[in-house]
Amino acid sequence: MAMAVLTDARKRDLRRELEALVGRGAVLSDPDELLVYESDGLTLFRALADFVVFPTSAEHVSAIVKLANREDLPFVARGAGTGLSGGCLPAEGGIVISLMRMNRVLEVDYDNQVAVVEPGLVNLHLSWAVGPAGYYYAPDPSSQQACTIGGNIANNSGGPHTLKYGVTVNHVLGLEVVMPDGEIVWLGGKTRESQGYDLPGIFVGSEGTFGIATKIVVRILRKPQAVKTVLAVFDRVEQASAAVSEVIARGLVPAAVEMIDRLTIQAVEDAFGCGYPRDAAAAVLVELDGLAEGMSAQTERIVQACRDSGAREVRAARDEAERQLLWKGRKSAFGAYGRISPAYMVMDGVIPRTKLPYVLARVNEIVASHGLRVGNVFHAGDGNLHPNILYDPRVSGEEERVVQAGAEIMRLCAEVGGSISGEHGIGLEKADFMAFIFSPADLEFMQGLKRAFNPTGRCNPGKVFPTRKSCGEAGPSAYRPHPIEEKGLAQRF
Amino acid sequence: MDLGPYVVEGRSPEAAVFPGSVDEVRAVVALAATEGVPIVPWGGGTAASLGTPAARAGLVLGLARMARLLEHEPGDLTATVEAGMPVAALQTALRARGQWLSLDPPDAERATIGGVIAANASGPRRHLYGTPRDLLIGVTVVTGEGALVRGGGKVVKNVAGYDLPKLFVGSFGTLGIIVEVTVKLRPLPDAERLVAVRFDRLKDAGTAVRTVTGSDLIPSALELLDAEAGRSLGSGPGASLVVGFDGLAEQVAWQCDELRRLTAPLGGHGIAPLPDEAWSRLCTAARAAFATPAAVMKLVVLPVTVADVMEQGANAVRQRGLLSAWSAHAGVGVLTAAVFSPGGQADPAAIAAVLEDWRGMAGAGGGYAVLEWAPLTVKALVPVWDAPGAAGRIMQRIKAQLDPLAILNPGRFVAGI
Ligand SMILES: Cc1cc2nc3c(=O)[nH]c(=O)nc-3n(C[C@H](O)[C@H](O)[C@H](O)COP(=O)(O)OP(=O)(O)OC[C@H]3O[C@@H](n4cnc5c(N)ncnc54)[C@H](O)[C@@H]3O)c2cc1C
Ligand SMILES: Cc1cc2nc3c(=O)[nH]c(=O)nc-3n(C[C@H](O)[C@H](O)[C@H](O)COP(=O)(O)OP(=O)(O)OC[C@H]3O[C@@H](n4cnc5c(N)ncnc54)[C@H](O)[C@@H]3O)c2cc1C
Repeated sequence: MAMAVLTDARKRDLRRELEALVGRGAVLSDPDELLVYESDGLTLFRALADFVVFPTSAEHVSAIVKLANREDLPFVARGAGTGLSGGCLPAEGGIVISLMRMNRVLEVDYDNQVAVVEPGLVNLHLSWAVGPAGYYYAPDPSSQQACTIGGNIANNSGGPHTLKYGVTVNHVLGLEVVMPDGEIVWLGGKTRESQGYDLPGIFVGSEGTFGIATKIVVRILRKPQAVKTVLAVFDRVEQASAAVSEVIARGLVPAAVEMIDRLTIQAVEDAFGCGYPRDAAAAVLVELDGLAEGMSAQTERIVQACRDSGAREVRAARDEAERQLLWKGRKSAFGAYGRISPAYMVMDGVIPRTKLPYVLARVNEIVASHGLRVGNVFHAGDGNLHPNILYDPRVSGEEERVVQAGAEIMRLCAEVGGSISGEHGIGLEKADFMAFIFSPADLEFMQGLKRAFNPTGRCNPGKVFPTRKSCGEAGPSAYRPHPIEEKGLAQRF
Repeated sequence: MDLGPYVVEGRSPEAAVFPGSVDEVRAVVALAATEGVPIVPWGGGTAASLGTPAARAGLVLGLARMARLLEHEPGDLTATVEAGMPVAALQTALRARGQWLSLDPPDAERATIGGVIAANASGPRRHLYGTPRDLLIGVTVVTGEGALVRGGGKVVKNVAGYDLPKLFVGSFGTLGIIVEVTVKLRPLPDAERLVAVRFDRLKDAGTAVRTVTGSDLIPSALELLDAEAGRSLGSGPGASLVVGFDGLAEQVAWQCDELRRLTAPLGGHGIAPLPDEAWSRLCTAARAAFATPAAVMKLVVLPVTVADVMEQGANAVRQRGLLSAWSAHAGVGVLTAAVFSPGGQADPAAIAAVLEDWRGMAGAGGGYAVLEWAPLTVKALVPVWDAPGAAGRIMQRIKAQLDPLAILNPGRFVAGI
């Protein structure tokens, strides 16, 4: 869509006007300041906004959005920028609305087990706030030390404990939203259900294209009485995959079932020495939580399921320190790749759990066929794969091959009845892959839903839906130097 | 054919059609769209009279012939089902392989999986396991324009595209005809038990609810019944707190003991197990308290206020010389209240006044109330749906975008949709 291009003079005027709305020190428009906001965790895509604005209230957000509408400028909400699909990228130009200064816990109601928070609150900070009273916030993306609840809402984020506790949408009751036309409305509220269409339910996961959340009502849960974590080590990936299904077949719903493969184990051991055997083909981490009563019987069932699937070693953490150590291997995987490869691209696909052995083998073949290496660390319990393709951006052509391999992996996930995103969203990165799993009629229906919220398309344009004519075939275009890089104003590492 | 079973509120449909395939559903919708005839999607018909009375007769589109379990992969904990399959039949098929759909809507023999999703219906176990919203992962619908649209998928975790399954849950057939659904399953627990604790005062039972939700207990159900509703379960006088537990046998036993320990100091006594069939009677306990209810209302409030709302609501009824019975999914704040007329014939104006009282009480605490069942004379005086506020405009825009011909259950839903 064509949107306004601003002259320098117009920019100066608008900057002054924005400052009058939100205060000096809350508006950025110098190119070097804007650079920080030109990408999110996926640096493959970059775009510069005209302004980055830091509102501190819903009224601020509404005023900014109304101004954007008046000027025909696109706008996009931004949390911590940890998204991995380019979701919070501005269109070229327009306004980035950063929610980072709206980061308070507004209310905690323990009796009703809900909290009301601002969107810029860091996910983990909510659990810190309610922890002393024996509560926590269940959705726990691995990025929870940085990502915001607003960003979680937009991407419907999940984490290791999704298997038992669900994703963000299962914990959101209500939202105050600034609609794309600037109106402030409540969707849902503090009660457990709301009347009519499930507006909070469809707003969650809309990737910032339905409006901007300014207050969020979430459920908080009682901390479990007991937690038990088991590590099982396997010589063959198929055994590990079988163990995942076997654990579930034994009638238990673990809080988490995570898996890491050989390359990842080695990287982790090189970097941190967490005590995983370096020669293992795969390790599976199973966590149970709930009542103390019966916990040892359940743990025994898990241990037995892993042994029966061929585990060469199974150990349960005896205390919290040991438990943390077992998790450390899983949690430090991403950092460890950094030690063995100059760069890596995180893929995010989902498959039916029972297809794990086949899909993992195929992923390795696909990546190898492009002359690349892949490390797998993922939420095995819900079939959410994270193949991480390692590469060197300085080697010419390598990035293109990564992108190509990524597209093939996504197609594979679609072919086995899975999906092209389990948690990172579609954003810009996968917009053209939507056709792998959705028909034109499906996409048109979704576009209709989008029009109901965002009829002009100014709110986060270019995301989620395919844009290219040769829909589905081409992957995301590989990195091209941004104009300011060409001018020598910035460099890409 | 005999249209009798499909007469709703005295209005007979023009015809009832029972397609046997997705293509046939599309053909029927296409025809109705050309002719401008409203379509009434029909599952088991157990909630057919819920909603604003229809302004025009239409075509009943029944899903009864589309009732197969299409796929069940125990290792994936998912199942794909045709919308017309009755919930009980689905559960039987799943149970044979050690799993279940963790939903227990009333009248499960008749209620269909499509209808339950369209009505967002649930039962006592929603306390732990949530509602259709938490269990539906994929949906295939035929739109009011005859298009086939799929949302979500067959995997338990999926954020590709907008969450269309959420859109169809609770949409009461106004956005599309659900033809196929994929749901998340759970393994069957080793053991399950339902117990009742009695309290002389409703207030104390309310305190017990708070104590239980703030404790280490993990009940699967937490129901509060006043004396009238409790009677239909065979409880003695006073309020009953009915609690469900599942898991390993030793966990169930430990929790029952812990429940006794926690509630005794609050005045809880006579803790006793209930027979299995009591599970299915919990939902209808309020309606079944006296002869025929004059109206049934669902109130959604903050969980902590449930006992107060029950008490105030019952008082308001007594002052008007009528009777009431109350039950609640106490831990989640969803109440069912039935009003009865002691002399038989109820005066619609008096019933309407009670319902307005109740709606006011729910609204005062930030909640709302829906008239679940009432005769037309009462519906003429009290709106079925509560005022949706600014969100109602968004809902209207969604309906306008997605069912532009407005032929799916028109006029029966929230905000005039
Ligand atoms: C190391 C690492 C690990 C990760 N692990 C996980 C994981 O385990 N699970 C998982 O799900 N994700 C994971 N992610 C992805 C990412 O952290 C999540 O998607 C997160 O929710 C993004 O939050 P954010 O605040 O950084 O949002 P941003 O990246 O700033 O924005 C993401 C999207 O949200 C929109 N948005 C932001 N705020 C609002 C608002 N207030 N209203 C409306 N829209 C808004 C943006 O427009 C954009 O579309 C990981 C990322 C990294 C870098
Ligand atoms: C005595 C009684 C007590 C009840 N108590 C409760 C309760 O406590 N809690 C609760 O949540 N519910 C309650 N209900 C509601 C009821 O359980 C559900 O609404 C019911 O399960 C719906 O299933 P059905 O197949 O009978 O749907 P129907 O009654 O046939 O249809 C219900 C609605 O869904 C639409 N619909 C049906 N099938 C489809 C489809 N395939 N696609 C699109 N739209 C469709 C219909 O048009 C209609 O609007 C109660 C109902 C009764 C009769």
